Amino acid sequence: MLRFAIRRLAMLVPVFLAVSLVIFMIIHLVPGDPLEHLIQVGSSPEQRAQMIARYGLDQPLLVQYGRWLAKIASGDLGDAIVMRRPVSQLIAENMPHSLTLGGTALIFSTVVGIVTGVLAASFRDSLFDRAVMGFILLGSTLPSFWLALLMILMFAVQFEWFPVSGARTWDALVLPALTIGIGGTALIARVTRAAMVEISQRDFVRVLQAKGVPFWRIQLRHILQQAMLPVMTILGLRIGWILGGAVTVEYVFARPGLGSLLITGLGQRDYPLVQGCLLMLAIAVMLGTLIGDLAQAALDPRLREAMGAR
Amino acid sequence: MKTMMKGSILALGLSALAAGTALAQEATFVMTARLVGAPTYNPIKATKLNTATTLIYDRLVVQDADQSFHGQLATSWESSPDGMLWTFKLKPGVKFHNGEPFNAKTIEWWVPQFKGTENAFTVEAVDKVEVVDDVTVRFHMKHPDPNLLFNLASSFMCVPEPKSYEALGDKFGVTEAIGTGPYKMQQFTVGQQTVLVRNDDYKSASDLSKNQGPAKFKKLTFREIGEESTAYLELKTGGADVLVNVPTDFLPRIQTDKAVKLVTIPGNEVVYMPINTSVEPFTDIKVREATAFALNQKEILTSLYGGNGETADTFLISSLKESQVDPKYKISYDPERSKKVFDAAGWKPGADGIRVKDGKRLEVKLWGQNGTEFKRLAEIVQAQLKAVGMQADISIIDAGSINAQYRKKTEHQLAVRAYQWTNADIVDWFFAAKRAGYPNVSMFNDPEAEKLNDIAMNKSKTWDERVANFTKYHEYVLSQYPFAPIYQPVQSLAYGKRVVLPEKIRGVGFSSQSMIDIAPAN
Repeated sequence: MLRFAIRRLAMLVPVFLAVSLVIFMIIHLVPGDPLEHLIQVGSSPEQRAQMIARYGLDQPLLVQYGRWLAKIASGDLGDAIVMRRPVSQLIAENMPHSLTLGGTALIFSTVVGIVTGVLAASFRDSLFDRAVMGFILLGSTLPSFWLALLMILMFAVQFEWFPVSGARTWDALVLPALTIGIGGTALIARVTRAAMVEISQRDFVRVLQAKGVPFWRIQLRHILQQAMLPVMTILGLRIGWILGGAVTVEYVFARPGLGSLLITGLGQRDYPLVQGCLLMLAIAVMLGTLIGDLAQAALDPRLREAMGAR
Repeated sequence: MKTMMKGSILALGLSALAAGTALAQEATFVMTARLVGAPTYNPIKATKLNTATTLIYDRLVVQDADQSFHGQLATSWESSPDGMLWTFKLKPGVKFHNGEPFNAKTIEWWVPQFKGTENAFTVEAVDKVEVVDDVTVRFHMKHPDPNLLFNLASSFMCVPEPKSYEALGDKFGVTEAIGTGPYKMQQFTVGQQTVLVRNDDYKSASDLSKNQGPAKFKKLTFREIGEESTAYLELKTGGADVLVNVPTDFLPRIQTDKAVKLVTIPGNEVVYMPINTSVEPFTDIKVREATAFALNQKEILTSLYGGNGETADTFLISSLKESQVDPKYKISYDPERSKKVFDAAGWKPGADGIRVKDGKRLEVKLWGQNGTEFKRLAEIVQAQLKAVGMQADISIIDAGSINAQYRKKTEHQLAVRAYQWTNADIVDWFFAAKRAGYPNVSMFNDPEAEKLNDIAMNKSKTWDERVANFTKYHEYVLSQYPFAPIYQPVQSLAYGKRVVLPEKIRGVGFSSQSMIDIAPAN
């Protein structure tokens, strides 16, 4: 298992380098620069040129990339140009909020998704199955920006159950977590349902049924356990995506977090800040995938052996 | 038992009353759009500051909406006839939040701090500061700068406390911000919120404030909400008491909302259409003139802005003296003049109404940045230009990218954009040849304009002389039609039932002058 983990970890290094290059190039090739936000009315074109030199923006892109990479290697994400603070400090301040929101959304989507998937598979093709899966599918197809505003209008303005925005009280977490969680719920429910339906048609299930094992015992102890394998993969991927998916939701609900920070950075073309935030999101996706793979390997020795043999 | 119950009820009632009173002592402000994302409250080094800044710090002088100057930390000032000496008398007995005294030595320390920062231009003309006595300072100038008072009234010229400034370094303005203002900074989370608590010893309000003592609210929270719909809904549901700078799109909705009141302040913004003078067909001044007179400012004011604000007929906000140009230079909708000038320039209407010259149709590009306001404005302008025979094709470009596109210099022809500034030197910023591309989106490069620019920017010794010189420069720019004026928005504040705002908002924007007059409703 350790060999498997080390092998998977080593595979992330080239992925990380490729991702860092893409992130760097994308933000630098988009027109605009952070100096627009630093230059004051009255300053001269010479002052602008001085600023370009001061931040090293006059250097070739590959040189700038090399410098950034060298800094990352020493654990330094650089200083935000417009925000004028270390990027790592800004990320450290915002990350706990994103993790809280993402974690809550993940727990919600996992619990509700698995329960719904199990019920839908257990009452396959019934009205309940169609209604629940249809409702979840609808929720997952709504753009999160729009769904967020809908949630605010319904539960904060109309019913006044929750605050409109912010992160000052625990209940301010409910609506944004629901907004993000609904998309994941649909995915997990669909995967759980499909896996359970597929497994329920295997011979061992028929044997269990013939032996007279109670229905729910077969569903929960035998079918669900095996159906968890694909669900684990999805969950692993969701860990990373949930942080990325929170970008617009954090903005609409005016919550601190990586998403809000990224949007601010993008608006200001603050290269080091955007690079740092995107890198964190990419690392989250990579780690999520790694965790998913490790969990799958732990559950399924065949996979472990296959990967270890390669 | 009965007595005990009565006692409990009374206690409960009293505590409820106390809680109510406590709540009434606090207010929440929401800042949106442009005010979001200020990274620090360090006025010397910041390039972006928000509304809370002028509550933490005071300035030597402040400015009213009519552009007049009023003393805050300075009680009086005078300039020598040659403009080379400025003497300021300071308010005695003022203390910073940490108890340190504010005096002439503070100013002597403060002015050189700007050197090497992005705000260095504010005191660029000051050679040195001389301490005459504890409450008198004299600025020795390198050259006359009649704009000095305007610069001193800027938020970037709020006065921080020297010892904590030196001790905290880059953390000043982030972890702590010590000024002499009516509020002390208690907590600041970048991009999220700033919590201020009242400075009970405050007594340096300017004469623009009715309240000359400490502020009326004990605690203020300034929340930053980038999404405008969320900001409005916070106000509507009572999550916030004041929405600072109401987005124009929300004005009609707020005007019909009984739970919310609206107050407006004269604007400091002009919406206009730059015309790229370096590309065909706008190299011809007649085409520029015809285009400029084709815009129906009143229609735009009514249909897009719901009648809020004023039409613009020059490049400057109407409260500036330099905007009072000779009426013959003003640019207002005149479709007949537009058509006549187009005809004179050789552009004749074609079969489909679009003008043609030498077989070439009058088709141009019209740029705008993303956002509902600019998209709709571009569409209205497009229709108005079509009415005089010009076909404008709209391109909407991301706000973060559009300035870089302007810097390509020849890609754009017309654009709709806006600026916010309260000084006539904005004419230099947007029309000086050395800044062609961006900010000189019009690519205006005219020898006579450059001459008048130099006189206005560098040769004025007194404020009146500067006004006269800038008026001439402004008139000349207007006569060359490198832009068409469109609209002057008002600044709007919306507030809920828990607060009472002063009848008249003083200052060029919503700042400490009026904020210390805001009171709880009961």
